[in-house]
Parts: sequence; structure tokens; C-alpha cells
Amino acid sequence: MTRFKQIGLVGVIIFISIQLIRPARNKSDGVPAADISKLVIVPDSVQVILANACYDCHSNNTRYPWYINIQPMGWFMAKHIRKGKAALNFSEFGSYSPRKQASKLTEIANSVRDGIMPLASYRWFHKKARLSGDEKRRLINWVHQTKDSLSKK
Amino acid sequence: MKIIIISMTMAAVAFAACNNSSKKSAATESVRTDSRAVSQTPSENPVSINMTATDSINKIVAAYLQLKNAFTNDNSNEAATAAESLQASFKTFDKKGLTGSQKKLYEDVADDGGEHAEHIAKNGGNIAHQREHFEMLSKDIYDLIKGFGMGQVLYKDFCPMYNKGKGAFWISETKEIKNPYLGAAMPTCGTVKEEIN
Repeated sequence: MTRFKQIGLVGVIIFISIQLIRPARNKSDGVPAADISKLVIVPDSVQVILANACYDCHSNNTRYPWYINIQPMGWFMAKHIRKGKAALNFSEFGSYSPRKQASKLTEIANSVRDGIMPLASYRWFHKKARLSGDEKRRLINWVHQTKDSLSKK
Repeated sequence: MKIIIISMTMAAVAFAACNNSSKKSAATESVRTDSRAVSQTPSENPVSINMTATDSINKIVAAYLQLKNAFTNDNSNEAATAAESLQASFKTFDKKGLTGSQKKLYEDVADDGGEHAEHIAKNGGNIAHQREHFEMLSKDIYDLIKGFGMGQVLYKDFCPMYNKGKGAFWISETKEIKNPYLGAAMPTCGTVKEEIN
């Protein structure tokens, strides 16, 4: 066997063997008690944006595309979800202190305004996450209203 | 053929190791949350705040003021460095002897303020973004000072121009206004709103 073939074969074997390592899925049933929708009003027009552009990495439920079954795609995704949820989890928003809730809302508005969120790599794969100017405005307005309503509580 | 077998075993071992480490970190995480749940129970006998807690608060406020002064000089990298030491002082806080409500206030402030400090530390070069977090951090520090008291006189200053006329406040050690939000562009914009003893 030539050296070239050997390297190729090793590559194939590694590729096949990494397919066996699958990260746990980010899925849960029902709406958790601490979900943001139980704390504040989320109109349908905003809910759609959150579900399309945010919830895959910032909630306890990810809609998985087919290609996550191919490693290492699934690993990259699992890492993004883990980091995303640690920074902000809409499914656990109600468990944050009022102080943290206010901060997170401000950060949502700022990062959407600046185009930092949704991440460019995520937008590349998810057409619906490429928010239009109108969608951004709707989301940011909702964030400001929510922040005001929470500060009055 | 030997090479193939060796590299396959190596790959298998490496991936097994990867898997283990992620499991381990999940386990330590659950332990950590458990211990936090225990420490959050309010103490039965409220004790007045001890020396170590006062020292800890002083350290946090000193790091905050250093951060504030970096912003008044429009120095983004210095702000990042100050934010790093602020982050460290949030973590090393000695919570012994705090009452239940003090502990709750501190934990809320440290959780939120620690994240703002982290953002500022990681965004050297992006002073606009750092200042957004500084605004939220200032509220945390104000509440902390009000809740614990300080040995030193501090001032709560307000700049009505920052953030498109929404305004923002900050804490200062000097009566003289030095604006951390607008820096050299508008160094004296603002007024003293409160003297905190």
C-alpha cells in the first residue's frame, strides 16, 4: 500500500469512528415554569422571531437540522448551544434576578441592533434568522416594553 | 498496516478522553449548584458585617473607580485591565458574617456585575460596547454601596446626554465632574445627584 493510500484510509477510519460520538440533544417537553412567556407577554409576532432567530441556542429546545448527524457538525453545534444557554436562556429567564433580567434585555436589544446576534455563522445556515429591519425594530421595541413592564413590578 | 492500527487506537483513546472530560465537568457543575443552594439559606442569626466583607466591598469599589477613570480618559485597554481585577474581586468576596438579605444582594450583584466586568474585560478596543456594560455595572455598584455602606464619601453623578438623551449615572470619588461615558468629547457633562456616605 502506498503511503498516500494509508493516510487516506486512516482519514476515512477516523471520520467513521467520530460519527459514533454524538452529543446529547437539547430537547425538553412542555413549557418550563421559568420560561419568559410565563413572566411577560410575548406577542405572536415577536414569538416567531425568537423561535426563528434565538431559541436554537438560547432555550431548552433546539430544532435540529439533518446535518448535525454528521460529526463534527453536531459537536460545533453542541458547543454553541452550551455557550448560548450559559449566556442567556429564555427557558430559564424567570429564574434570573430582576437585576439580571434587566441586563439581559438591554444586551438583547444592543446585540440585535449591532448585528452581533444572531451570529453570522448561524445566519449563514438559517435563512429565517436573517432579520429584516422591520423584524429587528419589532424585537427591540418588545424588549424595551418588557424591560419597562418588569421594572414597574 | 501497523500505522493504521496505532492511529486508530490513538483516535479512539482521544475521543474517549474528550467524552469523559465533558461528563466530568457536568458532574462538577451539579455539585457546584448544590453547594450554592445550601449557602443561599439565610443565616438564622444576623451578624453585623465583619471586617473581611468591608474589605471585599472596598476592593470592588476601588476596581470600579479605576475602571471609571479609564473611561474618563477614553482608554479602552486600561478599562479592560481594570475590569479584569473587578471580576477577580467579585469572585474573592468573603461572604462570612453576612445576613440573609445582604448575601442575596451580594450574590445578585456579583452574578450580574461579574458578567458586565467580563464583557468589558473582553472588549478592549470597543469602548462604545464597554460603556454600555459600564452603565449597567454602575447600577450594580450603586446598589451594593447602598446595601453595605462605605467608609468613604462617594458621589452619584448623572449625565443626561449619554445614550441618545436617555442619560446614565455613575459613581465617583470626586465631587468634580469627570464624565466616563463621553470622555474627552464632553468631560464636564453631568451633575452630582447624591452624596453617598
